Amino acid sequence: MEILQGFLESIVDLYKNSGLCYLPWQNYIMILVSIVLLYLAIKKQYEPMLLLPIAFGMLLVNLYPAIMSAPSTDLVPVADYIASHNGESASYAITTLQGVDYYNVPTNGGLFYYLYQGVKLGIYPPLIFLGVGAMTDFGPLIANPKSFILGAAAQIGILITFIGAIFLGFSGAQSGAIAIIGGADGPTAIFVTSKLAPELLGPIAVAAYSYMALVPIIQPPIMKALTTKKERTIVMKQLRPVSKLEKIIFPVLVVIVVAIFLPDAAPLVGMLMLGNLFRESGVVDRLFKTAQNELMNIITIFLGVTVGATATGSVFLKIDTLKIIALGLIAFCIGTAAGVLFGKLMCVATKGKVNPLIGSAGVSAVPMAARVSQKVGQAEDPTNFLLMHAMGPNVAGVIGSAVAAGVLLSILG
Amino acid sequence: MDLSEKLTISLTILITGFVVVFAVLILLILLIMIYGAIVSKIQKSADEKKAKKEAELEAEKAASAASAQPVTTPPAAVPAAADGMSDEVIAVIAAAVDAVYGKGAKVKSIKKVPQSRPVWSTAGILDNTRPF
Repeated sequence: MEILQGFLESIVDLYKNSGLCYLPWQNYIMILVSIVLLYLAIKKQYEPMLLLPIAFGMLLVNLYPAIMSAPSTDLVPVADYIASHNGESASYAITTLQGVDYYNVPTNGGLFYYLYQGVKLGIYPPLIFLGVGAMTDFGPLIANPKSFILGAAAQIGILITFIGAIFLGFSGAQSGAIAIIGGADGPTAIFVTSKLAPELLGPIAVAAYSYMALVPIIQPPIMKALTTKKERTIVMKQLRPVSKLEKIIFPVLVVIVVAIFLPDAAPLVGMLMLGNLFRESGVVDRLFKTAQNELMNIITIFLGVTVGATATGSVFLKIDTLKIIALGLIAFCIGTAAGVLFGKLMCVATKGKVNPLIGSAGVSAVPMAARVSQKVGQAEDPTNFLLMHAMGPNVAGVIGSAVAAGVLLSILG
Repeated sequence: MDLSEKLTISLTILITGFVVVFAVLILLILLIMIYGAIVSKIQKSADEKKAKKEAELEAEKAASAASAQPVTTPPAAVPAAADGMSDEVIAVIAAAVDAVYGKGAKVKSIKKVPQSRPVWSTAGILDNTRPF
């Protein structure tokens, strides 16, 4: 009989500890959202490298919130502690409450709490940038440095969205973090948000990566609406070859200029350029390979799952999230439009030598945005190859959004 | 935050952001253009020097060969078996060999391989089978 009683009590305890008993309803909705995101990542292949870990992190944290819990101290009565440890006392600090002595027994945090420190302390995004730098060829930008202008123009979306966010009731710092979604650069968005408004990290990261995945759907209608058929068929002159020496000087020069004028952007741009120097110097092949493969992949896993784990039901299911998603989309559209419009301006200034379609690639999202320019251009003229020309503004956009991030951090931080 | 505060911070961010982002990137454009010009100048002069040296070396070689062998020989002998091809076709084949194998490769003979399949169908088959 006693055994049966013990069995029943254990089952009841298990039930009480299970998610069925204590999970709020919001968590169940978030579980459904995470399953939809998993579907989009696997079936539709929308940025699966990031969306899959983000969605799974979201799933896990909503099933088991303690996985993100911070370390704490439990108060255990000294007598109870000694009794359950075969009479052995411990060296924990003792607190006395109402005449009873308690041990302050420290408990560890959840797994994701520790992995999340890399996001919270701004460690992962610069490391991702190290890998991005190692993978990026700045040759097209060096061959045609004027494309830097298009990379800068596309950042206008960030600045205008900031105004929208302020007037929708967000604080200055929060608005800065939301606006940076317009840079279409996941690591930059996470870096800025972790410093300015860590409480919005979940919705902002999800919005930023979703829009990056939706670049091929969002950008073409804007690009077509703002250009004429004649402009879209402009064939650009072939880029000049860039020497190895120029490619080696480039990262050193950029880091000197950016770090001196905008120290807040130095961690991002510095690591981006270090990765690029690994690549172009040709003397550190092993470091170059590690930065763009193993290290990048490991950090992507950590970043993805922990960013997803910030999207708990109670944080995510708010009106603010909808506002952030809407503002992110506006930022993205304005960035694309500003890039194309500046492309048109350059087209006029160069007497028709620049195809305005490459302007939309100024919103980072490497290399997806450049591919979209190529595709839209080829839809008009199948023999036109804009890809290499669009890569210039595209990589300039990465530097541009890091610079814009530096501006926001220095004013609002 | 009241309306005037919102306006102030919005305009501050807009103007500062616009000016700083463009200023930094335009500065980078100028610097890249300057160092691009310098690097290409340095490389041009280095290439010219190299070409000059090579030309001098060749001239020296030619001079020494001329003094050692007063009877001049034709510079390049026509391959022994050329299957009645024109000089132009031989020159093209020799140039292609030179482009692929570099200096040191010699064309000793050129033979026409009897063709069992037209060139275009061979290209088509190659194109279809390459992925496997």
